[in-house]
Amino acid sequence: MASQIYPAIADGILVGGVYALMAVGLTLIFGVLDIINVAQGILVVIGGYLSYVLSVHLHIDLFLGLLITVPVMFGLGLVIHTVVIRPLRGSERTSMSLLACFAVAIIGEGVLYAVFGADVVTLHASYTQSSFQIAGYYITDIYLYCFLLALALVAVIYLLLYRTRFGRSVRATMQDPVAARLVGININRVAALTFGLGVAVTAAGGMAFGATSGGFNPNSGYDLISRLLAIVILGGLGSIGGALVAAVFMITLESVVDIWSPSWAVAVFYVALVVVLTVRPAGLFGRAAVRAQ
Amino acid sequence: MTPSAVRQAAARAARPRRGPPGFSGLPARPLLIAAGVLAVVAAGVLFPVAFPSPVATTYGFDTLIFVACASAWNLFSGYSGYLSLGHAVFFGSGVYAVAVGAQDWHLTGTGVFGLLPLAAAVGGGIAIPLGLVALRVRRHTFVVITIAFFFIFQLMAFNLAFTGGTSGLVAPILNWSGATYNNPFYYAALLLAGATVAVSWLIRRARFGLHLRAIRDDEDRARGLGVPALRVKLAAFVVSGAITGLAGGLWYYFIGAAAPQSAFDPLFDLSLALMAFFGGLGTVAGPVLGALVLEPAQQWLTARFTSNYLSEILLGVLFLVVIIFMPRGVLPTASERLARWRAAWRRRREPGAETRP
Amino acid sequence: MSVSRTLHQHRVPFLSMIAVAAAVLAGCGGSSAPSGGSTASGGSTAGSSSGKGPIVIGTSLSLTGDFSADGQAFKNGYEFWASQVNAHGGLLGRQVQIKILNDNSSPSQVVTNYQTLINTDHVALTLGPFSSLLTAPAAAVAHRYGYAFVEGAGGAPVVFAQKLNNVFDVSLPVANELDPFTAWVQSLPAGQRPATGAYPKADDPFAIPQVQRTQRLLQPMGVQTAYSKVFPEEVADYQAPADSVAHSQAQAVVLGSTDVPTVSAFMSTFEQQHYNPKIFIAAAGPDQGSAFTSAVGMKNANGMLVPDAWYPGSANPLSKEMVQAYVAKYGGNPSDINADVAEAYSVGEVVDQAVTHLNSLSNAKIISYLHSGVTLQSVQGPVKFNELGENLAATAFIFQWQNGKFVQVLPAGAAGSVKIEYPKPVWPS
Repeated sequence: MASQIYPAIADGILVGGVYALMAVGLTLIFGVLDIINVAQGILVVIGGYLSYVLSVHLHIDLFLGLLITVPVMFGLGLVIHTVVIRPLRGSERTSMSLLACFAVAIIGEGVLYAVFGADVVTLHASYTQSSFQIAGYYITDIYLYCFLLALALVAVIYLLLYRTRFGRSVRATMQDPVAARLVGININRVAALTFGLGVAVTAAGGMAFGATSGGFNPNSGYDLISRLLAIVILGGLGSIGGALVAAVFMITLESVVDIWSPSWAVAVFYVALVVVLTVRPAGLFGRAAVRAQ
Repeated sequence: MTPSAVRQAAARAARPRRGPPGFSGLPARPLLIAAGVLAVVAAGVLFPVAFPSPVATTYGFDTLIFVACASAWNLFSGYSGYLSLGHAVFFGSGVYAVAVGAQDWHLTGTGVFGLLPLAAAVGGGIAIPLGLVALRVRRHTFVVITIAFFFIFQLMAFNLAFTGGTSGLVAPILNWSGATYNNPFYYAALLLAGATVAVSWLIRRARFGLHLRAIRDDEDRARGLGVPALRVKLAAFVVSGAITGLAGGLWYYFIGAAAPQSAFDPLFDLSLALMAFFGGLGTVAGPVLGALVLEPAQQWLTARFTSNYLSEILLGVLFLVVIIFMPRGVLPTASERLARWRAAWRRRREPGAETRP
Repeated sequence: MSVSRTLHQHRVPFLSMIAVAAAVLAGCGGSSAPSGGSTASGGSTAGSSSGKGPIVIGTSLSLTGDFSADGQAFKNGYEFWASQVNAHGGLLGRQVQIKILNDNSSPSQVVTNYQTLINTDHVALTLGPFSSLLTAPAAAVAHRYGYAFVEGAGGAPVVFAQKLNNVFDVSLPVANELDPFTAWVQSLPAGQRPATGAYPKADDPFAIPQVQRTQRLLQPMGVQTAYSKVFPEEVADYQAPADSVAHSQAQAVVLGSTDVPTVSAFMSTFEQQHYNPKIFIAAAGPDQGSAFTSAVGMKNANGMLVPDAWYPGSANPLSKEMVQAYVAKYGGNPSDINADVAEAYSVGEVVDQAVTHLNSLSNAKIISYLHSGVTLQSVQGPVKFNELGENLAATAFIFQWQNGKFVQVLPAGAAGSVKIEYPKPVWPS
């Protein structure tokens, strides 16, 4: 049994990277727009289906297909922001945006069911079956590739945030929207672009999720969003580094517990969240509650 | 316009909107309101007499259960501003409290109804530890923590032996005649719904309700003013949980079967939120209206909409429309529109006179 | 605050509430005309037991929601059965209409649906829904109004726990599905039996009972348990339990699965881990014909074992007739016919035989007839109910994929069985 732990940890870290990619978009959107985009789960699944369509019907490689799906999802993000998020005003904005995103998630799920049906699909490629051996254990190639993709994309986002002017506007808006506006930053534009970016990242997350999860269907959004929320909250809302650490930690923990009890492994996720929040209500790396609610 | 009218109008314009209107403040015409309430209650009591078909009472029962649950949800989430998406935890706990109790203590027939207070106690009791953990965090985090609790409880229902696992439990058979089988359930649900609305109204009128609304508007300031925030929120959470648990227990005996996916149903929480939002979040009558409209509609449509998940898409679109165009819900928005219309009508009828809405 | 403004705040809520409440509840409660559903029933609710109009048979199926794939297959089966009956002169000389309401896999909706079918549409007979979780509450409703409840997809203990006398499950009890398999292992000389067994089970009433029973029976035969765990079904990520099974290096794997993706995921992982069990039997999945082979690849399917009460190539004459008629009506390949269709069809057949024998639509008579120990025939084999409503005459077969063909292998001596391929061929690389 003990020898199973190392492969479980290895798998956990690799898959954790994939979840980190999906969670980063979520925490970024929260940081800038102060809303929890609970449609993120279904957006990941949409990304997965987009990759599926490109792969199965147009025979485009999964990674190359990202060149198409990422811009498409970026556009989708802009649309959602303009149609659903922008019109929300007033003191109840936080709860309204939460429910609005839920509505988007429900619509998205319904549309996916209507178009693709309830069958479970998987993303196939030559490298989704092959594995390489390391220390007597086999690791599937696709896990490694997706992990590397996740690292690359998170690095890109970091660079975007810390090395570009746009990134500076984003960080400024995150820190203090009023001050940002005073220095001339168009925060509406920043909000829209950030939302778009958060959704664009899920295109890659969707492909990675679809390739490493063993199968998905429109219903997968629920479980996914609850995990992503747990990761983002644990890491601290708005903290990208926190999302990374939390994702790898939670998924690895789940993977290890899975050895002993598959039935309870998922609970680990949520129990860990509850435990951490009891001790540190702002999450591991979250800022203490300063903003009025 | 006379100077006093100008001053009045300016004063009205300057007065900040303090949230959606409800049965707050002193009613100017208590007779009319009392008559209205009596009419609604009478309609509820006479409904099975007017429509004796068991189908009608089935719809009636399910709707009343949601009236109770939506009102209970609203008296916590609507009043305090902390949106809970884990209320199914209380509902499901009530379900299993009655299910396991009936099975382990070999209760049958009307004896099972005796377990309803237990369901309420379990619901309220669970709210205490959950509340102590969850109510210390910010609102965003609170939502997620309630979701986490939901998943934990659903998982426990799947995995623990005493809940019957994935197959669930079934209730003892009640050998009542088919024609009137539903009626006692219906009236029990009516009683529960009525009591819940009454509790909701009383809370809103009392200082307790004021504290909750203060917390919703600005918790830090409320704390500064001396509101014991955690205790207030926890109290509301417990009341809400107890009512929802009771509803769950009653529902279980009516349906006759408990399983993890149906006792802990994610759509349950979304329905409660939608109903309260639709009718008017934070009002007393809002969740009632929401449940009365949405629950029968949802059941009727589901039975007949058989393909393409159209119902799901429609639900989402309805949700969005309500949120974007009627963010405060049907009742407050309708109220406002009516008030504005009356003002415009009066202005047209009496040009030059004081404008009074 | 002015008087009339306050008034509006209070008047509007009440009046609108009363109006809406009255309208809504009146609208759905008072209606006695059937509306919607998936058949045109053209006019009156002529489902009554007397008269010359069509016989309306009501059922609630999961056309959306968790069980939708099976619900749709059941719909096909029920409707096909009705069309066959009508093509052969109808039931008691009258045309049969199936009225189907959708329950979205929800127990409270299924209760509402059967209430509607029985008390608004006044259907003559009722047929069961899909899944034990829905059958239990639905059967209680039917029982209350004296309706016989023949069903084919609710075999978990909860369905029979209420001891309702109107429940009749035409399909083989889930727990006994793998009995021919255990009998075969017993028939092997001790040296050839698998030394170790792994028993991963999806958390589902259709996946646990038979695997547990098999484990219990194989243990005293010398098959050591190397792995036995339940894994959750919700998430399609079976990597971890599959890895654990591979790690156990068990010689026999008895997988409690309910669908193709589960089996496919396990097979995938076993392949990646280069783990080749000598026996690999799954509770469900490999019986899904082309849905299975296209998901895993034809070459990988070889050697996989699965229990099946029915398959399109079954030698049963009733089944052959049904398959022919089905293909004639709907086209396509016989091998694509879902086993759920046969289950639903069997339900119809049992009802047909009972009603025809009694020459009556009386539910009370049907119930006592079905409890009388009579043996009826169906495309799934013989049907005979015990006092609980379980069909103990049901037959179980084990099938295997050999060279791209789905063949019956167990019971070894039964008509139509070919030699079982043992051990299972290694995964093609």
